[in-house]
Amino acid sequence: MRRWFCLFVAVAVNCLLLCQVQGADEKIRFNRDVRPILSDKCFACHGFDAKTREADLRLDVPPGEDWSGWVITPGDPSSSTLWERIVTEDADLQMPPAHSHKTLSTTEKETLRRWIEQGAVYEGHWSFQPIPSEVPVPSIDNVQHPIDAFVRQRLQREGLSHSPVADKSTLIRRLSFALTGLPPTTEQVDTFLEDDSQDAYERLVDRFLESPQYGEEMARYWLDVARYADTHGLHLDNERQMWAYRDWVIRAFNQNKPFDEFTIEQLAGDLLPNPTLEQRIATGFNRCNVTTSEGGSIDAEFLFRYAVERASTTSEAWMGLTAGCAVCHDHKFDPISQSEFYSLYAFFYSAADPAMDGNALLTNPVIRVESEADRTHIAQLQQEISAAREQLQLAVQNVQYRDPAAADVVAAPTAIEEWWMDDEFVSSGRVQASPGHATEFVSAPSSEVAAFRGQKVLKRTDAGLTQDVWETSGPGLKLPPQAKFVAHVFLAPENLPKSIMVQFNKGGWKHRGVWGDYDAIQWGAPQTTERVSLGELPAAGQWVRLEFPVETVGLAPGDELSGFALTQFGGTVYWDQVGVVGEVNPATDPAFSFQAWWQKVATSDLAGIPAELHEIAKQGPSDEANADLKKQLLSHYLLHHCHAVKEQIAAPQQSLVSAEQKLREFEASLPSTFVFSDLPQPRQAHVMTRGQYDQPGAPVEPAVPQALPPLAKGDTRATRLDLARWLVSPEHPLTSRVVVNRYWQQFFGAGLVSTSTDFGSQGEPPSHPELLDWLARDFQSSGWDVKALVRRIVTSETFKQSSAVSPDLYERDPKNRLYARMSRPRLDAEQIRDNALFVSGLLVSQMGGKGVKPYQPPNIWEPVGFAGSNTQYYTQDRGTALYRRSIYTFLKRTAPPPFMSNFDAPNREQSCSQRQRSNTPLQALQLMNDVQHVEAARSLAVQLLQDKSAEETLRLRKAVRIVLAREASDAELQILSGQLTKHRQRYAADPDAAQKLISMGETPPPTDLDAPELAAYTLLANTLLNLDETLTRN
Amino acid sequence: MDPAQQWRLMQTRRNFFGSSGLKLGGLVAGMLAGSAPQSGLFANDVATPTNDRVYPPLPGYPHFAPTAKSVIYLHANGGPSQLDTWDYKPGLQEYFDKDLPPSIQGGQRLSTMTSGQTRFPVAPSKFRFRKAGQAGIWVNEELMPHTAEIVDEISLMKTVHTNAINHDPACTFVMTGSEIPGRPSIGSWLAYGLGSESNDLPAFVVFTPKFPADSNGQALYERMWGSGYLPTRFTGVALRGSGDPVLFLQNPAGVSASDRRTMLDALAEMNQLRLQRVGDPEIATRIAQYELAFRMQTSVPELTDISQETQETLEMYGPDVTTPGTFAHSALLARRLVERGVRAVQLLHRGWDQHGSLPYQLGNQCKQTDQPTAALVKDLKRRGLLDSTLVVFGGEFGRTVYSQGTLTKDDYGRDHHPRNFCVWMAGGGVRGGYVHGETDDFSYNVVEKPVAINDINATILHCLGIDHERFSYRFQGLDLRLTGVEPQHVVREILK
Repeated sequence: MRRWFCLFVAVAVNCLLLCQVQGADEKIRFNRDVRPILSDKCFACHGFDAKTREADLRLDVPPGEDWSGWVITPGDPSSSTLWERIVTEDADLQMPPAHSHKTLSTTEKETLRRWIEQGAVYEGHWSFQPIPSEVPVPSIDNVQHPIDAFVRQRLQREGLSHSPVADKSTLIRRLSFALTGLPPTTEQVDTFLEDDSQDAYERLVDRFLESPQYGEEMARYWLDVARYADTHGLHLDNERQMWAYRDWVIRAFNQNKPFDEFTIEQLAGDLLPNPTLEQRIATGFNRCNVTTSEGGSIDAEFLFRYAVERASTTSEAWMGLTAGCAVCHDHKFDPISQSEFYSLYAFFYSAADPAMDGNALLTNPVIRVESEADRTHIAQLQQEISAAREQLQLAVQNVQYRDPAAADVVAAPTAIEEWWMDDEFVSSGRVQASPGHATEFVSAPSSEVAAFRGQKVLKRTDAGLTQDVWETSGPGLKLPPQAKFVAHVFLAPENLPKSIMVQFNKGGWKHRGVWGDYDAIQWGAPQTTERVSLGELPAAGQWVRLEFPVETVGLAPGDELSGFALTQFGGTVYWDQVGVVGEVNPATDPAFSFQAWWQKVATSDLAGIPAELHEIAKQGPSDEANADLKKQLLSHYLLHHCHAVKEQIAAPQQSLVSAEQKLREFEASLPSTFVFSDLPQPRQAHVMTRGQYDQPGAPVEPAVPQALPPLAKGDTRATRLDLARWLVSPEHPLTSRVVVNRYWQQFFGAGLVSTSTDFGSQGEPPSHPELLDWLARDFQSSGWDVKALVRRIVTSETFKQSSAVSPDLYERDPKNRLYARMSRPRLDAEQIRDNALFVSGLLVSQMGGKGVKPYQPPNIWEPVGFAGSNTQYYTQDRGTALYRRSIYTFLKRTAPPPFMSNFDAPNREQSCSQRQRSNTPLQALQLMNDVQHVEAARSLAVQLLQDKSAEETLRLRKAVRIVLAREASDAELQILSGQLTKHRQRYAADPDAAQKLISMGETPPPTDLDAPELAAYTLLANTLLNLDETLTRN
Repeated sequence: MDPAQQWRLMQTRRNFFGSSGLKLGGLVAGMLAGSAPQSGLFANDVATPTNDRVYPPLPGYPHFAPTAKSVIYLHANGGPSQLDTWDYKPGLQEYFDKDLPPSIQGGQRLSTMTSGQTRFPVAPSKFRFRKAGQAGIWVNEELMPHTAEIVDEISLMKTVHTNAINHDPACTFVMTGSEIPGRPSIGSWLAYGLGSESNDLPAFVVFTPKFPADSNGQALYERMWGSGYLPTRFTGVALRGSGDPVLFLQNPAGVSASDRRTMLDALAEMNQLRLQRVGDPEIATRIAQYELAFRMQTSVPELTDISQETQETLEMYGPDVTTPGTFAHSALLARRLVERGVRAVQLLHRGWDQHGSLPYQLGNQCKQTDQPTAALVKDLKRRGLLDSTLVVFGGEFGRTVYSQGTLTKDDYGRDHHPRNFCVWMAGGGVRGGYVHGETDDFSYNVVEKPVAINDINATILHCLGIDHERFSYRFQGLDLRLTGVEPQHVVREILK
């Protein structure tokens, strides 16, 4: 059901196979025959890792400049200590030693003996050897296709041959699934069957390659590698928005983006010159890792973990190296030292994203994903803002204003109110809520709590400490003369808080007032203005005005606050109309008197004043000032700083605010997506002792392992762009081999190297090394052309041959490593669901966009969800969203959709290059009973019954054609017909049961069909959708 | 039976499948367990089903005579306070609201939830403890009166410690032996190594019962019962409190068991035709999986039907026992599962994360768990099952002696404390009435006999007859173990 990683398979079975084929006289090859044995049994103590090396003995390389003391006499096993220690009966001397729990089999011993006898010739590890610039294709009679030539050569050696080409029905269904993840339509099948031309198959391949579904199918595999999902993955496992990256991958395959560009853009699109939006979206690859925001977590630990994860994933995805081992120590089996691992890690350790994801939908850095139409609309909204601004300017020019400081004006003290929160928080800052509880404004939640003033009140409920915090980095909130702080609060009588608190930030959160339990919230030094008790909790069940002079909490008029917070411990609290009241003398107050304001700015701060007015502003009030500039300064004052004329310009000001609001809202409505970028100043990376985040050792710079070609870089620090280009450089021995192998695996069920993420010495060597090299070289020469590679593979006889297997052949090669037949992989989770939707006519082919939530049994998210998580409750979508392709299903990592995990889809917590394929009773239950599949069966039945004139046999034939893309045999028709008869009798006798069955699902059943008949056909269709043949790429 | 041989057998018994799948006999039963992946090669051993065992053990397993056949792991998720349950520290009363001595705190890492606190005032437990049982083990008698009655059956480890200080990594560590997601859970390891004695039920079953609505319920993660890099069929199967007890178990409305039988007969015949044509033994396996699915449609409802339990038994587990999805109901089903030969059962009960209002909230947690837990042990014992069933009770870390937030005599909270906490085991070869290890006067540090998380895992494996050092799986070129690469030790002192 559930799984994390994919399966990587290993050495022994293939060794058997290889040993079988290697005749007694055949030369032992180090890489093929000996290295797997030594690597598994000996290298842990006698290998690359100097720290665990015993007796100063290496067996991974022959003696050289830096190492001597060999224990092998080439050509003579009997005088080789190695051999002596292997065959000795003395338990104290025997190798491998008993405590290693490793033993050598007789065959393995014999292989080692013969290798020594033949001269003990070493080879470098195969995958680190350069790919030959030319790989000669074997010349085999009547074989044109290079893949077939290599495969045939090996088959001939084994005394085997290819199976005949599969029949055309099987071929088109196989090809359709392989290239689009969907079955062919009956029309496509008919056309292909009738097309006798030579290149009918090739044209079919081209048609499938051109269909948009090709990109969806290819993207699936890459999204497993990229560990893409729709939630953060750790702790709250909240939603994250980065589906634009998923859609980018689909587009990349459909546009046939060369794999080298595909690589560079994902690893370093942000570092390309003038990166496009698309190139930046691509960098989402390394933002797909799981992240946390769990309270109490330590930043350094997670910054470390993220960089380790990114370095490991990148190594595995492109180089097939399990570099993760070197997190804690030098790699025991492969030539990657611990410091080399941390050099790779250094490429990612300066990532700009934070240690804590904030449980946010969008954790910076993100980028807005806007279309051409969106940009036009934005321009239009900007235009509206300009127009509103002009109107406002006009209004300011016409404003009635007399400076109260003027000699002929008598100014009386005036009351002033400034509301910082009233229906919304004042827009000059931003609000942040406690994790897990978004800021919530409610409109009159009940008659008692009817909004105190305006439309809405702020509401907050929690069992513990919780708050809304307003902060600004711009001009702060100014406290007027005689300032008193005012807030209105309503406590829910049924759920009282322990205490409520207001907090203010003036260069630090050091000013607090608390009502109720003084100790419930332990912030601030007790008995100071950092925490002042203001009395008991206010009366519950009514609006209470809280008011106190700002001095009470250590503030003073004229102070500028950069933040305030409304805080509570437990309970349900409503807040409304929060701010300050004060009293001013207009003649001397800069908020009323232009003269006073001018005086003030002249001697203090010009911030916010346009540059061209700085000169005159600095002069201070003066009659001699340039009249035009003075007028401009007055305008600026009236517009931004004058409290006295607020009312007069309120209307045009409001228009401007709402125009700006419209733009903000529209921009906020546009999706954004996670992108990768670096901090302006790189973080220094270190080797981390024993892989401990708090044990930094020697500093390291970004670099690549020495066993691989050198990194081309400038004089400066190596960048991710250098790394990406290095990976796809022609001399890199790993990337192209790893990539073609993964595509081979996709089409044949297993790779030529079956351990497709381990190309190191613990992995399996390739079954067809020359073929792998030829494909890798050809892929590079083609300009990393993925469609060309795919076309090459699926046009081979090797791919096209029948998958039927005789008992002899099965016994000879159960895992189909020789390709004397085609493999018969079970369809993947997405293909199984998509197939049911497709053949039943329910599939909605709409591409892209936010993840959808199709049918899911109740209680999948809920039993695991964190109480504050926004993915605690699963809300199923309606309508077409139920029938989209599975690649668009919303993926919650800590509780993935059962239809996926049940069929071995990874949960995307880690990169996965190879899925398992299990065969379990839980899968059977799902396909028989899941509403998605029952509804699909009903829908297919409706298709069959809609042609009312057709007779039963015709219908059954049609059903088999739709589901299996082939004609039914007589034997099959007999079985199906017998089944149908039984169901028909049963439902005729119980029409209620029939009605229930056909009513499954959200799409209503047609009313013009006989319910028992439709029910009988529904179970028949249910049978067809459960056939092994249906679930398999045959 | 190896697949090739199986295939030959199929060829010679073409007519084996008659018109009714009900005739399917031993051969099919022998193929019922999920097969190996079609793709790729295993260097790992994989158990092959036999005629009488659908989920057989790996060859050579168990390594030695086990003292337990099954394990029931009761996981109190969130970090139960050791100070308010088992680790009795009467001397702390004098320290009420005094600062934790720096010599005790020792500059150790704190979670960032309290690392900013200006004071670390000691919060003694407000609860009354008593020496219970013949062994005289201290236990909070107010919250755990029932558990107090079974202390003579348990070994209490007071000195368990972990590396993680936050829930997600700590839970992942407890259940998979590693803080980083991706490793198999202990139940999956057991299912892989030992299979199941039951042919009709999964080898590893998981419950996620309801928890108090006003408690601080941390998240669970499917990785806690996931198979990691082991084959997916070893994933724990969730027995659910609402909806189908096993996902998709019930036939659609309007489809009876006999309709399903008719459908399955046709399906088997169709698949059989296909098998004859293409010869892939995977098809035979699939036929068998559908038959097992059909049997589960009967065996699972039989399992969850507790109407035949005596009134006395039901009363023992407490009033919640008749409500599906409760801890009590799950505990009773756990007994019924091991009775039927299921290898590993896991109950994950949430809400044990008391940063504030600890006395009140912990009381609620214990109200749901105390009685059923004690009942489970007693019930197993009187049925003679406790000798072959290992019961484990524990969380992912402990809680601090110093208070987080408000501190009064009756009200306090506690932050996460990874340095020592309590886990107990009972049955299956474990000594009764024994306390292992000691902590300092503040329950802040281990004084003697520390127990690491993977020591516990090694001990569980040991009781089930597995040498944890020899129990590995080849993944990405490495032989990986549940208990990791650091040396781990079976806690021998707690064994009989």
